[in-house]
Amino acid sequence: MTVATPDVGESADLPSRSFPPGRQLWVVDVEAPPQRLAAFRILSGSFAIAYLLIRLPAFVELSSRSAGFEGSGLAWFLAGPVAPWVVVATIAVTIAAGVGYTTGAAFRLTGPVFAFGVLALTSYRGSWGQLLHFENLVTIHLLIVSLSPAADRWSFDDRRRRRRGVVRPERSPTAYGWPLALASLVVVLTYVIAGVAKLRYGGVEWIFGDTLRNHVAYSAARLDLLGGTPSPVAGWVVGLDVAWPVVAGASVLIELAAPIALLGGRWRTGWVVAVWLMHAGILVFMLVGFPYPLFLVAFAPFYRLERLGRLVGVRRVTAPGDVADVSGRP
Amino acid sequence: MDRRGRILVTCLVTGALIAPVLFDADGYPLSTYPMYSRARSEVVTLATAQAIDADGSPRTLSLRIVGESDDPLIVAGELRTAISDGRAEQRCAEIASRAIGWSGLPDDAVAIEVVTERHDVVDRALGGDSLAERTVHARCEVSS
Repeated sequence: MTVATPDVGESADLPSRSFPPGRQLWVVDVEAPPQRLAAFRILSGSFAIAYLLIRLPAFVELSSRSAGFEGSGLAWFLAGPVAPWVVVATIAVTIAAGVGYTTGAAFRLTGPVFAFGVLALTSYRGSWGQLLHFENLVTIHLLIVSLSPAADRWSFDDRRRRRRGVVRPERSPTAYGWPLALASLVVVLTYVIAGVAKLRYGGVEWIFGDTLRNHVAYSAARLDLLGGTPSPVAGWVVGLDVAWPVVAGASVLIELAAPIALLGGRWRTGWVVAVWLMHAGILVFMLVGFPYPLFLVAFAPFYRLERLGRLVGVRRVTAPGDVADVSGRP
Repeated sequence: MDRRGRILVTCLVTGALIAPVLFDADGYPLSTYPMYSRARSEVVTLATAQAIDADGSPRTLSLRIVGESDDPLIVAGELRTAISDGRAEQRCAEIASRAIGWSGLPDDAVAIEVVTERHDVVDRALGGDSLAERTVHARCEVSS
């Protein structure tokens, strides 16, 4: 239920009470302050904009392609490539909407436009023969956040509301906690599915055989033949025969154990550290980077992100209409 | 949204994520996450494009020349698809047109070839001879 409360006249704030530390097992009942969801909006938006800008040449280049198209994702209905101006316009609109998403400006419009724009662009890019699976998670997170009340705090929309003296929408803490818990659940399921895939497609041989070592050697050979620079340690690690079953077993275990992250606390942090090390190993040994988890943004919804506000000097506000009042708790 | 709505949406999202696994259908953004999950032997067939010098020896190009991208997954994936779709000649011509203006193209390069090569990738990583087989799918002339 949405409860209207008076504006407190502050430009920025922190929650006035502490919320339970990150246990997200019962996804639908998870509570969080609006600042936590707002912080995830800013982090995911900043990451996605940076990704689009860094990969801009690759996306712009798509506008000049003509052959080899097979629609995937949101582009499934396309029989062939779209006109070049459509690609360029989609990129421009998506980046502009991304600024709105991240800063919380006209979020009800810019949020969905950004999320679906990223989905459209990454779908289109993946329609030429190669899906990049590290784009899935960030895209799903953007979709979740874009359809949530993520701009109720730390946003231009909130600032404008306050300046105009407009009544600020106050919602139950679950309105902010549930989207974050859902985003966490998506992370968990993604890793479990990746672990299941290794056993399903590779079998136990994936763990006890030479599959992982051969993947590392294959990545190095592929880069070498295509004119790239393979990992300088690839040759060395490929020679470590005894270590590979341990590394492979640990990788599958880490992925299948992802649900423990929903327990919060040390279980969550232990899993996040383990999975980050796994991605760091993939980067070092194979030069294949999964930027969303490597920059830890993928794991942000597991944490009390409102604390980031203190790092950037956001003030704590204890005033009527703040979180403590809507939760009904001291 | 009330609790029932949250439960419904949570179930729908969970079902959507699990559906590709149940139907074994990889897609985007819902996926089976098959990357690096298949068993891989030491002997592997890799697609690439190479410059051929006057002696007939193959010389490595660059990721950007081969696939207009710095991402090996994209370059390799798209080249593989082009070969399997019968578009190797067309891709060869595109690569040749990029290579002609490339400063790294060997002076004595006479052609570009789109090929698949069979390698023992473990031997290759350890510094040994690895090439077992080479198949040319397309060849196009260049004059640098």
